[in-house]
Amino acid sequence: MKRAERWIPYVLLLPALILLLVFYILPALAGFGEALYTSNLSRTNRAFVGFGNFAHILKDPTFWKSLRVTVVFSLVVNPLQTALALALAVLVNQRVRGIAVFRSIFLFPVVISLNITSTVWGLLLHQGGLVNGILVNLGLPRQPFLRSPGQALWTIIGIISWVGVSYWMMFFLAGLQGVPQAVYEAAAIDGASAWQIFTRVTLPLLRRVIAFVLVADTIINLFLFAPVWILTRGGPQLSTNLLMYDAYRRGVVWGDLGSMAAMVIVLLFITSAAVAMEFFVLRGDRE
Amino acid sequence: MAERATAVAGAKTRPRRGGAPSFRVLIHRTVVYLLLIGVAILVIVPLMWAFSASFTPNEKVFAYAFPFTWRALFPVDFTLEGYKELFTRREGLFGRAVVNTLILSFSTVLLSGSASAMAGFAFARFEFRGRSLLFTLVLLTFMIPGPLTTIPLYILVSRLGWINTWQALILPGLANSLVIFVFRQFFAEISQDYLDAARVDGASWLRVLTSVVLPMSKPVLVTASLLLFLGQWNNFFWPLLVAPDPEFRVVQVAVSYAYEEYTTQWDLLLAGSTFAALIPILLVLPFQRYYVSGLVGGLRE
Repeated sequence: MKRAERWIPYVLLLPALILLLVFYILPALAGFGEALYTSNLSRTNRAFVGFGNFAHILKDPTFWKSLRVTVVFSLVVNPLQTALALALAVLVNQRVRGIAVFRSIFLFPVVISLNITSTVWGLLLHQGGLVNGILVNLGLPRQPFLRSPGQALWTIIGIISWVGVSYWMMFFLAGLQGVPQAVYEAAAIDGASAWQIFTRVTLPLLRRVIAFVLVADTIINLFLFAPVWILTRGGPQLSTNLLMYDAYRRGVVWGDLGSMAAMVIVLLFITSAAVAMEFFVLRGDRE
Repeated sequence: MAERATAVAGAKTRPRRGGAPSFRVLIHRTVVYLLLIGVAILVIVPLMWAFSASFTPNEKVFAYAFPFTWRALFPVDFTLEGYKELFTRREGLFGRAVVNTLILSFSTVLLSGSASAMAGFAFARFEFRGRSLLFTLVLLTFMIPGPLTTIPLYILVSRLGWINTWQALILPGLANSLVIFVFRQFFAEISQDYLDAARVDGASWLRVLTSVVLPMSKPVLVTASLLLFLGQWNNFFWPLLVAPDPEFRVVQVAVSYAYEEYTTQWDLLLAGSTFAALIPILLVLPFQRYYVSGLVGGLRE
């Protein structure tokens, strides 16, 4: 009987594994191949160009501008979201009355899609929108926000942090709830201040979660697309032309799939480099 | 999940230490509440404005927002015009998008839910050759960022001539390693005694799965269904790429086009946005704990 059952787990696994293979693993590998061809959607024009697509991108000043935008964006948005999310999680982990209501409220940005969030914030930040309304009430000048090359990127960082901080807070909160209350009580009895408890007890215990959040956030943000597509289309003056949007524009708008695939490979290298750097930094201060 | 439940219950029933709270505790509590309320305002005000403005005549959408008065946060000039217009204009295009999205979301819950539950069960309860290798493979797909595969997948789907088809819209979303993890985690915690008892009674594995395991798996089924449903309801980039046609348009894509096309019909745009945002909020609120436990499920792996 046991012998006949050997195949059961494989049968159970088959549908899921086929799906993962066809729609995750093969496309990821195919991406590398595609980058070596020049192509549009008709097969006939497909030709092997080796690293031609990469050379083409690297010669394009738009690429370098987008790369600069993406680097600045990443260096700001990921540490910012991670730090604020951790702070919010510590706040939400306080045992005060009514905390469940606040936890529910902070879940809203997480369940609403990023493009609805972008749409609503686009209207809030409109010339005659609510944010400028409040600024005017306070006697401050109106701001152009998304229409200004100097402010657009920072505005997008703000909008996606409205989502990101709540989202990553959930992970930190789960981490904090895994820390036994006794650990805090013991530290408090030893006379540690709240700040000391945070830096000496909480932070070291959350090291793995912090690493996870920072890395996952970095990856997600390097592939950020919806807010740029909806709010700025890369402008004004390419000031929000993040690489993922640039890849989309090359492939879907201009039909240059080879360059699009090459851009994604470039993004993957940047992702790997950023992730490796983060692991290095996080490991470095263990001593 | 059970641990969290007892932790929450523990906090509530915890006996109060006698006497009035000390001055320091009061200060601490005040600061905590002030910060909580501050963040809550940042979250709630934009949503309240969007919600109220969606029930406001178009010419008054910004009337109370600039300069800002409290009226901006409540539908004081209540009307359903925006919603009526949203669902009737262009031969009910938006209604069509809602139906499309529901078909997409429900078929994903059903198909991906079944495939992931089966896989999760196999990983959790069977010893077999290649288990750790296959599980590593699943872990690996979890670490490949979704958007990295999106573009090669788009190229593949275009070559197959699948643009504007149901299979292009549905099939790629069925592969979901997070949901497999969530099922595996849950099934691993079921006591072996239940399974053995059913097996001794001569039930086949399929029967064990459907009549013993599934009935006791409501929490994980809720979690998985929410993750899958919301994942598709909120999915934007993939449908934008493979289903640009009005016939296959989904809610998120419809609203994003409206942002561009109807730059003067704010009420329409806000009605669409509010509708698209309310569905997930109403679905998740009653099942918060299940949803969040699934969301952070990848953390354990």
